[in-house]
Amino acid sequence: MSAAETVTVSIDGREVEVPKGTGLVETALAAGIEIPVFCYEPRLGAPVGACRMCLVEVEGIPKLQAGCTLTATDGMVVKTAQTSKLAADGQNSTLEFILVNHPLDCPVCDKGGECPLQDLTFRWGPPVTRNTFPKRTFEKPIPISPTIALDRERCILCYRCTRFSSDVSEDDQLVAQARGSQSIIATFEDQPYRAPFSGNVIELCPVGALTSTQYRFEARPWEIQDVPTVCGLCPVGCNVEATTREGKVKRIGSRNHPEIDEGWLCDKGRFGFTHLRAGDRVVDPSRRVGVRRSETLSWDAALDEAEAMLRAGGANIVTALSGSETVEQAYALGRLLRQGLGAHCAVMPEDVNPALDAFRLPLSSIRDAKLIVILGDDPIVERAPVVDLWIKAARRAGAEVVESEIGAPDGGVAKARDELGERIRESERAILIWSGPAGNGGATIAGLAAELDLAEKPGSGAFHLPETANGRGVADGWAAAADGDEADPEPIELLIVSGDEAAANPDVRALAEQAERVLAISMFRSPVAGWADLVLPGTSYLERDGTYVNLEGRLQRLRRAVIPPCPDELAWIAKLAERFDVDLSPHSPQVFAELSERCYGGIDYSAIGEVAELPERAAAVEVPPAPKAPKRERGKGLRLVSYRPLFSGPAVERVPELQFQRPGSEIELSADDAKKIGAKAGSTVQVISNGTSVALHARVNKQLVKGVARIAAEHAQGLGTHVEVST
Amino acid sequence: MADTMQLVLAGADERDLTKLGEYKAVGGYATLEKARGMSREAVIEEISSATLRGRGGAGFPMGRKLSLVQPPEAAGKPTYVVANADESEPGSFKDREIMSRVPHRFIEGCLIAAHAIGSRHVFIYIRGEYLAEYEVLKAAADEARDAGVLGDVALIIHRGAGAYICGEETALLDSLEGKRGQPRPRPPFPPIAGLYGAPTLINNVQTIANVPVIIDLGAAEYSKIGPEASPGTVVYSLSGNVERPGNYELPLGTTLRELIYDVGGGIPNGRQLKAIIPGGSSVPVFTPDQLDTPADFDSIQAAGSFLGSAAIIAVDDRACMVQLALRAEKFYMHESCGKCTPCREGTRWMVSLLDKIESGRAEHADLDLLRNVCDRVEGRSLCALGDFAVWPVRSYIDKYRAEFEAHIDEGGCPYGGGSSIEGVVAPIDQHTHSPVAEVPA
Amino acid sequence: MSLLDEIRVAAEPYPDKKSAVMSGLRLAQHEYGGWLPPEALVEVADALDLTPAHVQAVASFYDMYHLAPVGEHVVEVCTNLSCALVGAQQVVDAFSEELGIRPGETSGDGKVTLRTIECAGGCGYAPVVVLDHRYREPTRPEDVRVIVEELRNG
Ligand SMILES: Cc1cc2nc3c(=O)[nH]c(=O)nc-3n(C[C@H](O)[C@H](O)[C@H](O)COP(=O)(O)O)c2cc1C
Ligand code: SF4
Ligand code: FES
Repeated sequence: MSAAETVTVSIDGREVEVPKGTGLVETALAAGIEIPVFCYEPRLGAPVGACRMCLVEVEGIPKLQAGCTLTATDGMVVKTAQTSKLAADGQNSTLEFILVNHPLDCPVCDKGGECPLQDLTFRWGPPVTRNTFPKRTFEKPIPISPTIALDRERCILCYRCTRFSSDVSEDDQLVAQARGSQSIIATFEDQPYRAPFSGNVIELCPVGALTSTQYRFEARPWEIQDVPTVCGLCPVGCNVEATTREGKVKRIGSRNHPEIDEGWLCDKGRFGFTHLRAGDRVVDPSRRVGVRRSETLSWDAALDEAEAMLRAGGANIVTALSGSETVEQAYALGRLLRQGLGAHCAVMPEDVNPALDAFRLPLSSIRDAKLIVILGDDPIVERAPVVDLWIKAARRAGAEVVESEIGAPDGGVAKARDELGERIRESERAILIWSGPAGNGGATIAGLAAELDLAEKPGSGAFHLPETANGRGVADGWAAAADGDEADPEPIELLIVSGDEAAANPDVRALAEQAERVLAISMFRSPVAGWADLVLPGTSYLERDGTYVNLEGRLQRLRRAVIPPCPDELAWIAKLAERFDVDLSPHSPQVFAELSERCYGGIDYSAIGEVAELPERAAAVEVPPAPKAPKRERGKGLRLVSYRPLFSGPAVERVPELQFQRPGSEIELSADDAKKIGAKAGSTVQVISNGTSVALHARVNKQLVKGVARIAAEHAQGLGTHVEVST
Repeated sequence: MADTMQLVLAGADERDLTKLGEYKAVGGYATLEKARGMSREAVIEEISSATLRGRGGAGFPMGRKLSLVQPPEAAGKPTYVVANADESEPGSFKDREIMSRVPHRFIEGCLIAAHAIGSRHVFIYIRGEYLAEYEVLKAAADEARDAGVLGDVALIIHRGAGAYICGEETALLDSLEGKRGQPRPRPPFPPIAGLYGAPTLINNVQTIANVPVIIDLGAAEYSKIGPEASPGTVVYSLSGNVERPGNYELPLGTTLRELIYDVGGGIPNGRQLKAIIPGGSSVPVFTPDQLDTPADFDSIQAAGSFLGSAAIIAVDDRACMVQLALRAEKFYMHESCGKCTPCREGTRWMVSLLDKIESGRAEHADLDLLRNVCDRVEGRSLCALGDFAVWPVRSYIDKYRAEFEAHIDEGGCPYGGGSSIEGVVAPIDQHTHSPVAEVPA
Repeated sequence: MSLLDEIRVAAEPYPDKKSAVMSGLRLAQHEYGGWLPPEALVEVADALDLTPAHVQAVASFYDMYHLAPVGEHVVEVCTNLSCALVGAQQVVDAFSEELGIRPGETSGDGKVTLRTIECAGGCGYAPVVVLDHRYREPTRPEDVRVIVEELRNG
C-alpha cells in the first residue's frame, strides 16, 4: 500500500497506521484499544451517534466527540477513557443515564451473561445508583410477533432494530414512536412484525429488550454450548451457531461469514429448528403392514428387511435424492447402491451445471455491483433469502437492479440480451442472477454470461439460485461414488426415497406408483405414511457432520449440534454396505477423505475450516446450448405459476411460531388481468382448474406479465397448468 | 435612547409589502436582478465581507457557509437552499414578523442565495403553528411565481407540525425528508451532505432576509452598522415583564438596558427586574447588574451567555426561579427528540429533581445532584438541545442558589403561592393527544 | 379530489415523494375530523408508498398530529416562559372553569378540546391562545367567557 493511502493516528499514546477512511472505532481496535459502543453497528449504515457510549477526547476539539462518528485522519490525536479523565466521565455518565430507567432485572433476563450493557457497566459504569425516582415502566413483554418479544423498559433506544428494519431489510415495520423520553419501539398498531428477516433484531439488540420467544427463559449463558455450523434450509448456506443445552437446540444465531451472509439470517433459518422435536418425528424404523398400519422394527430387523429389498431390487433400483443430504451421505448411498448393486439410476433434486463456475463470485460482490439483472420467475427472497439483502445493499449503494417480469416466456433472457446486453457488456461490474425453475441448473444464466463476456471481468459474474440446500453437493457425491450406466430401469423393483423433500415431490410420488416397493428415509411420518414399505428415520442438518456446497459453489462444514434421536444415515448405510461387500466408513471425515480425491481436489476435511473459502473461478467450459423450453401446454384462462414460498416445507410446517409467516391463500394477478376480471385487491375470487375450484384472495403484482397468475404451491394443490379466475 | 433602524423591515410601516406591486414600488426584486447579473463568487464575496452572522442562534458567518457549498457541477448533484423558519425558541417571534410583513424580501433573499450556490430548489421549512404566516408567505410566493420572479427555481414551502427540535438544522433536514425530525451527527455538515445527501445551504429567515439588504447597500455600507465583528441590525424580540413587548429592529450591540428600559418601557407596575434572559429560554440567565451588556454575539458571550435568536425575556421579582427552571426544563424534556441518551434521560431526571425541589421534598444533596447532572449532560449530547436543557437550569442555580435552598430548607416555595408563574410548572402532562399517555410524575 | 389524490399532488414538488408525509398527515387529519385514526395513517402510507408503521412513527413525533379524537374546536393556551410570566395560567384556569374540563380533556358535548402548548411564537403579545389554529393575541382571563360562548355556538 502506498503511503498516500494510509493515515497515522495516535490513540492513548499508541501510534497506529490504518487505511484512509477507517472509522475511529476500528482504528482504535487496530491499536488494541476498545472504544465501547451500543448504537454503532457498521452493517446498519452510516453511524448515528445516538447512544454516546463511545465518547472520546480529540486533541484540538474542546467537547467530547462520539468516536463512532469519526474517521481517522492523519495526525489525529485521540484519548479514550483509558487515558482521558474527561472521556471516562463521559462514558460513566452515559451509562448512568442509561441505567436511570433500565430495570436491572438481569437475573431474569435472557441477555444476562451475554449482554453488552452488563459488560460495559461492569467496566465503565457508576458503582452506585443516584436515581431515587421510580423508573419508567411498561406493560411487558409485548409480542412484536409470535417469534419476538419486547420488554420495553429494558430498551436503551439505540435504534439498532429500527435501523435494521428501515435501512437493511427495508421492510420499515419496526419503528420508534413518540418522542423524547416517551419514545418506544413498536410496530403499526401492535400488528405482528411480519417480514422475512425480522429475527435479526434480536441479535442486534445490545440489551435484553428484544428476545426470542423460543429462547425466552430457556437457558443461562454458562449452561449452553454454541456449535458453529451452516444453515441447511436453503442454498445460501448462512453460517450459523446452534446454541444447545442438555442435548437440545435452543436457538440459532448468526456467525457472520462476511462473504456469504454478513451476519444476517432469514427467519426460516433462525426459527426453523424446533421441528427436530416435532410430534411426528420418525425415531424408529417401521414397516408397512396392510394399507394404513405400520409396525415398528428393531434396527436389526430393519437392516435385514432393507437388505432383502435391495437384493430383490438389484440393478432395478431408482434412488430419489432430496438435496438436503450431506455430500458424504449422497456418496455413501452411491457407493452402496451403485458399487454394491449396480443400481445407478437416480432422480436428482435438480440439475447442476458446472459451466457456472467460470462466473463464480462471492455473494458479497453483489453489494459492489453496478448493474444487477435478475431473471426467472421467483422473487429472490423466496429462493435464497439473504441474497435479497445483498441486492438491497447494492441498490442503496446506487446499483441499478433490473428484474424480469414473472412469467416471461424464457425467464426474460431474450429481453435482457436485447435491451441490456450492451450495457451489461460495458458495465464495470455486472451480475446476472437466475432465480426460479427452468434455469437448467445454471446453464441458462451461464450461457448468457458467456455470451456477454463476463468470464474475463473479475467483478462481474453470474449466480443461479438452486432449489435445494445441497443439490449440488449431492450431485457431486453421487457422481463420485461410481461410474456406470444410468439407464432407467424397467420395471422399477425398488424406489429409495431419500429425505422428506423427495417424498413431497409429486414426480417421486408418481414413480412410487410404478415401483414394486418403496424404501423411504424420512424425518417425519406424514410425508411417507401409507406408501413407503420400509421407513428408516432421517436426521436434520443440525444433527449431522458433513459437508454442503452452497450456491456459490463453496464447500462448507456442517457440525453436529445435537445427537439425533436415531442413528444417523451414515451409520446404518455403512452397516448395510458391509452386507454387500462395500467398505464404507460410518464417519464423515473418513468418507470425505475418500470422496475429496474424486471431486474436491483432495482438500482436507479440516482445511475447510469454520469460515470456508470460495474456490477460484474455474476455467470456462463449453456451455451446452440450453435445451429448448418445453412447449407450454395450452389451456383456458391464465397460465399458472405456482411457487414454493420461503416459509414452507417440512421444517416450517412444524414450527408453530412460524405459521404467521406463511403466505395467505392468495392469487397474484397482473394489473391488467385483475382489471379485466374485476378483482379488487383483497377481494375473494373463484379459481377454477381441472375441475377443482378454490376461493382465493386477489392481489395485484406489478411484476407479473399479463396472462399469468401466481399461487403458492400449498394453495395450488389440484390446480392444473391454467386457471380460470372469476369474481 | 436607541433608535429603531429598519433595514430588513424597511418600508413595512408605510406600505403593505406583502403585495408584490408594493414591494416592487420600494425597489423590490431589483436587487435580485442585480445579484443575478453578478457572478456567484461575487455574491458570496459580498456576503462574506459584510460579515453577516447567522441570526438563527449560533451566529456563524453566512459567507463561510456559502463558500463551503460545492456547486452542482463540482458535486455532480443538485444543491439546495433551505430556509429555517421553524422559529420555536421560547421568547423568539421575529421570523414571524419578517415573513408576515416583508415576505418578498425574504423570498428575494432565498433566490439570491439560490443563485449564489447554483441551486434550483428553495425549501422554506415553516413551523406548523404559523398558519397565518404561511398563508401570507404562500400568497407572496404564488405572486412571485406568477410574475416570473422565481425564474427556474422551485420554491417549496414545507410546513412543520410542532417539534422544537426541527429548528436544529439537521433534524430539520430529516423532517423535510419525511422522517422523524432527529438530528444527524456532524460531520458531514449540510454544505457537504445535507438534504437528500446533497450540498445544502441552510440559514435562518432573518439571516436570509438580510441578503438583499447587503447586496443592495453593499458590504461596505452594511458593515458600518453595529459592532465591527457582528455588523447589521437584528430584530430583537422583547417579551416577559416589560411595558412594551414586541419586535424591534435595531443595530446589533444595543444594550440590554436600552432594550428593556428605553425601547421596552421598563418593568410594568413598578416592579423590580430580577433576571434577564438574553437570547431565548435556552441561554444562561443574566442578573440585572449585567444590563449594560451590548446585545450582540460577542459581547453577550463574553458576559457568559449567548445572543441566540436575540429574544430577550425580562423577569420581574414576582417569579420564583425554581418554578421558572422547572417550567423551562419541562419544555426541553418535552422537546428532546429521544435520539441520544444524555438529553433524553438527563432532561427527564432533571425534571424529576426540580419537581422534588420545587415541591419542598428535596434535600441539599438533591440540589448538588441536579447541578452535577447538568454538568454530565452538557457537551455530551448529539445536538445542542442537550446544552440548551442545561444552561437555564444551571445558571438559575448558580445565580439564584438561595432560592433553591430556601425551597429545601422551608419545605416548599417561599412565595407561598404568590409566584407570578404559580401553576404553569406542571403543564406538559396536559399536552395530551400524544400516543403515549404515560407521563412521569 | 380524493384524499389520495390530494396527497399525491402535495408530493409533486418534492424530489422525493416521501417528503410529503407531513403534508399527507395534515391533509388526512383535516379529512378525518381533526385527528388521525389508524385508517388515516394507512391512507397516507398508501398514497406515498410508505409503510403504515413509518407514517405512525412520523405522526407520533409531532405535537400537531392528534392520534386520539379531539373536539370540534381546539383551544390551545401557550404556557411557556413569556406567556407564563404574564398570566397564562390564569387563562388556562379561566378556560378550565368555563368549559368544566381540565387541559387535555374534551368537553362532554364533544365541542371543545382544551390543551396547553409550548411556545407558539407570540411571546410579545402574550398570553397567546390558539383557537382552531388561529392565534388570538393577547388573551386575558376576562376574554375567555365570550370566546367559549362563541365556540359553543359556532
Ligand atoms: C435545538 C435547536 C433548535 C434550533 N431552533 C432554531 C430555530 O427555530 N430557527 C433557526 O433559525 N435556528 C434554529 N437553530 C439553529 C440551527 O441549527 C442553525 O444553526 C441555523 O438554522 C443556522 O442558520 P443561521 O446560520 O442563519 O443562523 C436551532 C438549533 C438547535 C440546536
Ligand atoms: S429495542 Fe434494543 S435495539 Fe431497539 S432501540 Fe431498544 S435497545 Fe436498541
Ligand atoms: S456508539 Fe457512538 S454514539 Fe453510540
